[in-house]
Amino acid sequence: MTPFDLREPTSIKEALGLLNAEDSSVRPVGGGTALMLMMKAGVFRPTRLVSLRKVGGRFSGIKAAGDGSLTIGAMTPLAAIEHSAEVARAAPVITRTMPRLSNVRVRNVATIGGALAHGDPHMDLPPVLLALGATVTIVSPKGERSLAVEDLLTGYYETALAKDELIAEVHVPAQAGRRSAYLKFTAGSAEDWPAVGVAVSLEADRDTIRSATVVASAATSKATRLKSAEAALNGARLDDKALASAGEAGAQEAEVISDVRGSAPYKRELIRVHIGRAVRQAMATNGAH
Amino acid sequence: MNISGQITVPAPRAAVFDKLKDAPFFASCVEGVKDLKEIDATHYDAVLETKVAYMKFSFKVTVELTKMSAPDTIEAKIEGTPLGVVGRLTATSRTHLSEADGQTVIAYSIDSTLAGKLGSIGQPVLKAKAKDMEKKFTERLRAVFAAGGPQ
Amino acid sequence: MATTTIPGGTIGSQIGRSLPRLEARDKVSGRAEYTHNLRLPGMLHGKIFRSTIAHGRIKSIDTSAAKKMPGVFGVYTAEDVRKVIPNPYYGPAFHDQPILAMDKVRFVGEPVAVVLAADPHAAEAAVQEITAEYEELPAVYDEIEALNSKVYVHDELKPAGTFADLKHLTGRKQTNVALDFKLRRGDVEKGFEKAAQVFEHTFRTQKVLHLAFEPFVSIGDAKRDAVTIYTSSQGPSFVRTEIARLLGLPENRVRIRVPYLGGGYGSKLYIKLEALVTALSLLARRPVKISLTMEECFYQITKHPCTFRIKSGVDKEGRIIARKCEVFWNGGAYADVGPRVTQKSGFTASGPYDIENVHVDSYALYTNVTPAGALRGFGIPQLVWSYESHTDMVARALKMDPVEFRRKNILKKGAAQATGTPVKHAPLEAILDRVASRLNWGKPFDKGTGPVKRGRGLAIAIKAVIAPTTSVAVLNVTADGSPILYCGTVDMGQGSDTAMAQIVGEVLNVPAESVRVVPRDTDVTPYDMGTLGSRSLFHMGHAVRIAAEECRAKIEALRKELGEPEGSNIPVADLFKKKYGMQAGNIVGSGTYKPDYIPPQPGTGLTTNVAPFWMVAGAGAEVEVDTETGKVIVTRLINVVDCGKPVNPKIVETQISGATLMQLGFTMFEKMHIDGGQVTNASLADYKIPGIMDVPAVMENEAIDTVQPNGPFGAKGVGETATFCCGPAIANAIDDACGVRITELPLNAEAVYRAIRAQQKTPLEDE
Repeated sequence: MTPFDLREPTSIKEALGLLNAEDSSVRPVGGGTALMLMMKAGVFRPTRLVSLRKVGGRFSGIKAAGDGSLTIGAMTPLAAIEHSAEVARAAPVITRTMPRLSNVRVRNVATIGGALAHGDPHMDLPPVLLALGATVTIVSPKGERSLAVEDLLTGYYETALAKDELIAEVHVPAQAGRRSAYLKFTAGSAEDWPAVGVAVSLEADRDTIRSATVVASAATSKATRLKSAEAALNGARLDDKALASAGEAGAQEAEVISDVRGSAPYKRELIRVHIGRAVRQAMATNGAH
Repeated sequence: MNISGQITVPAPRAAVFDKLKDAPFFASCVEGVKDLKEIDATHYDAVLETKVAYMKFSFKVTVELTKMSAPDTIEAKIEGTPLGVVGRLTATSRTHLSEADGQTVIAYSIDSTLAGKLGSIGQPVLKAKAKDMEKKFTERLRAVFAAGGPQ
Repeated sequence: MATTTIPGGTIGSQIGRSLPRLEARDKVSGRAEYTHNLRLPGMLHGKIFRSTIAHGRIKSIDTSAAKKMPGVFGVYTAEDVRKVIPNPYYGPAFHDQPILAMDKVRFVGEPVAVVLAADPHAAEAAVQEITAEYEELPAVYDEIEALNSKVYVHDELKPAGTFADLKHLTGRKQTNVALDFKLRRGDVEKGFEKAAQVFEHTFRTQKVLHLAFEPFVSIGDAKRDAVTIYTSSQGPSFVRTEIARLLGLPENRVRIRVPYLGGGYGSKLYIKLEALVTALSLLARRPVKISLTMEECFYQITKHPCTFRIKSGVDKEGRIIARKCEVFWNGGAYADVGPRVTQKSGFTASGPYDIENVHVDSYALYTNVTPAGALRGFGIPQLVWSYESHTDMVARALKMDPVEFRRKNILKKGAAQATGTPVKHAPLEAILDRVASRLNWGKPFDKGTGPVKRGRGLAIAIKAVIAPTTSVAVLNVTADGSPILYCGTVDMGQGSDTAMAQIVGEVLNVPAESVRVVPRDTDVTPYDMGTLGSRSLFHMGHAVRIAAEECRAKIEALRKELGEPEGSNIPVADLFKKKYGMQAGNIVGSGTYKPDYIPPQPGTGLTTNVAPFWMVAGAGAEVEVDTETGKVIVTRLINVVDCGKPVNPKIVETQISGATLMQLGFTMFEKMHIDGGQVTNASLADYKIPGIMDVPAVMENEAIDTVQPNGPFGAKGVGETATFCCGPAIANAIDDACGVRITELPLNAEAVYRAIRAQQKTPLEDE
């Protein structure tokens, strides 16, 4: 690793001033757990890292609104989210995702904003947040904008963020009546990156499924909605046949990549199976969430 | 890593072959190829620059056309070294043209290996990028032949 | 334990104590000494430029840009190394490995040049500026391909000359076979003719590596006519001998110092970075340190992948009457200790069974991948994977119960094993019974409902400890009576210092905690063959015992000399005071141990004394197979091993659980993926080892109640034993659960899923 300039601004304004819209060797850094791997690999050699650790303000903390929505500062460590009573109430699927998200050392320093901005399709939170309909507030010298997580993720490591933009907050809308689940499948060690992740969020009218969101990750180049699976589920009753056809539709639709965690045909089978399992798990949760 | 596939273009095979054997044209379909220099009839030098998010990769490559047999086969060998990091890219590409109902089916197969640090730790990043490049390559080819062919 | 006739005699208060490790507090508080933390005045850091091709001739190496980089002290290639070490080839079996690649490179990742700088980051940056041109040659990666390939990794074989059975290979050309071990017992072809049924299967294991948490590190400090090397090594005595040979120096001019190791598992044997740092230090005239990154460990040494063709002839009663074993070991680009793995594991390739006709051919093969060496088991886990999977397959085909089939064929007490050596003190039947009874074998078992199927399986194994090897120890009882032990066994986390202190304590009747074990330093600690193959507790344990007994006898003699009555309990310190008039003097005892051994006959591999002790093991597994994904959860993992009388039962238990968990990773998912010679998952981000979430819900670790009569205080080694059976026990359980048989490791979810689909006649398409 070659030496670089490390800055620790204490305000958003100062942080934005240190970024560079033209220079991709200047990067913001949250917990650094993912970026450090890139630097160790030699695929990224920064000239400057802008640590957001000391920015504070709206970048940190978890706020629950009366309507059941959540606002989470981008620099909130995953461990804080894992142990937050507000998160457990408003979006318990996030809480359930945490124990198997990497390991406690990583969760103590990695941040929610970093998990989204890094754009790695193997991460667990992006598909979950996407399924929950979350949005991010993005700040830049030009001002502020809001973007759905679905639109934020554009490809393998690619996001819609410009080089001088920062995610400040993540908003999870009220989940009243929605049921959600996330299944992570590791083909080898339980602590490996997933071969496939499937997140679903849906409403149910007794055992009839409505407004399903189905997201695949890890096997695809970004967390991706599988709209044909959603279409197969919407209005269907929860039974093996409906789940099989949703799984089939999703498996056909997903653009799957093979890697050391599994071949593309295998991952397609995993998506097929896990769509049904995730829907069943979501339906089994308390409908109040 | 192997990338293979086929695309069908609405042009006669002979025309497609003529176009594809033209190195500058071929290179123009590959995203990120710069500074193509002809060394002789079968050898070229170029720089391949590619970006994944905020990560940039540059390769100095030499291309050797190892087989050129009209009207259906073009084979090439590509060797390259990444700039700024120890490594080596080697690839062989085989392109085969066949006729089908007045159209031409271009079947391609590229076997590549990447050695050194990028080949071990950077593999997932570059694998995803290669898929992306393949997509763009086929899009460009289709666009060229769809837009009235190469005549 | 009652009085026995075991060496050491009656067991008192120190043997059998679950004493916490002597160094535990230093380790957890970060104060234990490791080579990584050591810095010498004026020390330079080296970073390695590695080959990017699998096989080729070096045409040129351009180091000029690197030399101009800021902070660079120098850049060195094989040409420079030759100036200080004219014949820079090393290796325990073959002198085939150059300190830096000479003329040719033979695997992706082979060291070609080194940059030295005071700042490791400056060295790392400069490495990126080096370029090399190669004339690429065809490469061979697979062991079966290597057998008949026209691609030769080495132009000529260069045996080290230290092993008699390699001498005939000197100068051999146009071959990749570095050793062909043969064992012939009876007439296997006649056996097959007589057999009622003959079964033949082929098994494969994948390339995996040790991944000790402390990566390889060495510091060379070469001065005129004397060299000191600080290194993370499992075999300081071998390093001294080999460095002395390379430099043409007497052994007393080469000093090897080894503090604690952060794990070794066989990777840190023989020469790794030691010759390189020595050469660089000679060239730079400064101390030179090279510490590999975790990623670079993938290019140092690995386990042997292997292909095993096994054929068994069985008579009408279900007795195996003939077995043919053809084993092909993928040794990588340099032999390292591969030929020894090939030969020593060959002794027991036919398994723990009493078979009249046995034919073993075991081949060490060169290929163009990272070299392979010893890894916790010395080849045995690969063999057991094959022969115990085969055993179950044969039992199933014969419609015999797998336990009954084993019982029928198992080596009974005192029967001669394939080499002709009787298996004494190898409680195979007892271990099979213990595993079966723990599994409630023969009783109903819940096979699962829905997509999740349950199954159970078991395996048993035997290993002959590597022989003959030598250990020497010195014990110094100081003037206040406190003992200092000098022994070359390397404590790499297995707790050997604690065990050796317990042996001293037992003999001298003092608490083990009062014994100081000196860190390994070849100027101080005497010869030991190496910390490998579970040999240390037996061999060094005896040497330490003998040294302590000599001290005890000398103390007794001093008592007599000073007129103390027989049986007096006068403290040793008072004896010294009485003798010398003050707190002065010391008593020194030494012990050397080398067991009896009769070398196997060339061509037949037969001998009546192949090893001083046997290591036997059994494992049982219960699994759940998700037939919709292929995911296997090992819900219960049982290991029953024989280690004689446990010197430290707690350490024995952790050796059993640690060994089997390591093997669980090799069994279930670990694999080095190789593409065009390049390891494509060479980092812990992409190569995962078992974590806490992978530990089976129920683990049972048992050392069977027994005594090794010729072992020190009835004990023998246990470091490897629980690696043997894990793999086939799980594969047999998977077969029991869902009727699929997997013959190649690892048993990852995709492999199992594909097998299930193939069995359903709807095979999953390839890529």
